[in-house]
Amino acid sequence: MRKFFDFLALAGQGILHRQLRSWLTVIGVVIGIAAVVGLISIGLSFEKTITDEVSKVFGVDTFMILNSEVFGGGAHGGTADEYALDLELLNSIEGVRVAAAVRQRTGFVQGQPDAEGNVLQGFLPVMGLSPELVTEFESFTGELEVMPGGRLIEAGDVEVALLDYEISRRLRVEVGDTILVAGDGDAELNLTVIGIMAPPEEEDSGGGPGMSFSMSSDGDTISVPYETMDLLWGPADDVLITLVRTVEGYDVDDVADRAEEVLTERGSDISAVTYSDISNQIGQFTAIASALLGGIAGISLLVGGVGVMNTMFTSVLERTKQIGVMKAVGAKNSHVWAIFLLESGLIGLVGGIVGTLLGLGIYQLGISLINRLGSGFEMITVISGGLIGITLLGSFLIGAISGLLPAWRASRLPVVDALRYE
Amino acid sequence: MPVLELRGVTKDYKLGKTTVRALRGLDLEIEAGEVVAIMGPSGSGKSTLMHILGALDRPTSGRASIESSDLSQLKERDLVTLRGRKIGFVFQTFNLVQTLSAQRNVELPMTFQGVGRGERSRRARELLEKVGLGDRIKHKPNELSGGERQRVAVARALANDPEIVLADEPTGNLDTETGESILALLKELSVRDRKTVILVTHDPEAAAIADRVVRLRDGCVSSSARHGGEGAGTPSPGTNSEAGAGREVASAASREPQSGARHADEVGHA
Repeated sequence: MRKFFDFLALAGQGILHRQLRSWLTVIGVVIGIAAVVGLISIGLSFEKTITDEVSKVFGVDTFMILNSEVFGGGAHGGTADEYALDLELLNSIEGVRVAAAVRQRTGFVQGQPDAEGNVLQGFLPVMGLSPELVTEFESFTGELEVMPGGRLIEAGDVEVALLDYEISRRLRVEVGDTILVAGDGDAELNLTVIGIMAPPEEEDSGGGPGMSFSMSSDGDTISVPYETMDLLWGPADDVLITLVRTVEGYDVDDVADRAEEVLTERGSDISAVTYSDISNQIGQFTAIASALLGGIAGISLLVGGVGVMNTMFTSVLERTKQIGVMKAVGAKNSHVWAIFLLESGLIGLVGGIVGTLLGLGIYQLGISLINRLGSGFEMITVISGGLIGITLLGSFLIGAISGLLPAWRASRLPVVDALRYE
Repeated sequence: MPVLELRGVTKDYKLGKTTVRALRGLDLEIEAGEVVAIMGPSGSGKSTLMHILGALDRPTSGRASIESSDLSQLKERDLVTLRGRKIGFVFQTFNLVQTLSAQRNVELPMTFQGVGRGERSRRARELLEKVGLGDRIKHKPNELSGGERQRVAVARALANDPEIVLADEPTGNLDTETGESILALLKELSVRDRKTVILVTHDPEAAAIADRVVRLRDGCVSSSARHGGEGAGTPSPGTNSEAGAGREVASAASREPQSGARHADEVGHA
């Protein structure tokens, strides 16, 4: 051990002596390590940010039911596939505390006449919402805001409607007015407007969770109570999403499995998605992304390693005479080997330290850039001690491994030849 | 009991396809505490002999022993230990490690022998003090004069308190005055510390401090002349007939060489 530190000091001297070349070599390692640290940190940040958002929305007791095509089928976001659902059956499953669903149709809608008696009418999206969505699943819906004088859909409401701000203007209706909505066949209802959604502030800064499904992005949705949809269009076969909260003490994954089983038996083409399902998916995705980024970073590390090897070969050649002298004064082959190996390891380590700092700097810059550009949610900064530790150890090893061959060659130099070398 | 003993030593080198025989059955004995100058023209085998005397190389045939250890019988690692502990080297070009201070250079041989830091540092300072560089211990080689560098090298040679100090042209890169002071230092090692000092040299002044001058020619000892107790300053009894020693002859002549009567073949084969 004592010799180790002595040799470390000798190796350090060797590096300091050839400052410029050493630093040029170090730069090669620095770039590689900076790339590794920066890219992987950004990957970790993405993963953490997304899983945090998801866990905020889900909590520990909630799962959602989607069309089986949607989750895991590849068709994320965008137009969600609809499915049939027996909400009562779902509510009766053991462990289910409350379930709320959203179904959507396009219906014929007629507003109020204007001064000249013209009535605006047309086919508009009609959404059926469980009142529990607002009371129980606010984390999903975000905070819904209605214009003064109105209210949201509540339990027990039937012939009521909640209008987007935009469409309420076009239909020329106020709270208290009625609109006509026609469903299948000759089913039609006069619905009383109970509320008008506040117009979205520009670029809705609160943003709400990434999970919130589109309530009114196009501004012409007419929302009605979930049960009212039954009156217009019959039993639900057009559900977009169902949210389920479990009874405390039940395992959310168990309940989700049971719900999936029961509903599938009933003919619903669905899958129940829990937080762990989503985080697994995110994990898989980010693992692939990380592997990709790591691969790119690895290539630059390889280049850095080759640089170290080259420098070490030159160094061995340059110091042939010195190696001879060291051997003449009693250095064993293993001593020479250790000194050169430590030297190349140190080059790697110095590159690792500088590269890690640089990588973290670039990473912070990247995060603040992403956050400034405003992608809707705040990226979380993740400084992983494990990553830094592994990187530093790795950079030393890359240096040492690159130095293996040159150091071996140095150690095998015959002392007489080395002394004679000019 | 000689400290160094060579019997019928040969050494062959391969140069391309030809084999060069650098030593041809050389016999030599060196007693403990002796100062021996090895002289001879270029190509006479001086360097090769020095390599064997310094346990840097093994003979092709014959027996070379240092303190009764037969070099041919030793493994590479034992050879390293032998030269690390028993032999100190002084080179013509000093061969100090440029990146290390005088003190660290002197510590180097001790580092390889696993001597502790405190002990190393203490001994290195002591040795530098002894060679007259007590105030230069922190200087790097490029901050020292040639003579000072060679003093550091002498101190380094003494680091592990070896029995034998092997100096290869120690004055070759120094001016006369500086060279003389280095020679005096080496002589002192023998007189005061009972070290065996072997000088491989072209320089008659260097040879002058020797108790005995061994001359090589074509890989053999051509003569081995003892000075007796005449000490430093006594000119070497050069043999005029020796080829390639023009400088030697001229120099020796200018100093009125004493008779070559003591020039006797002790162990050499002609």
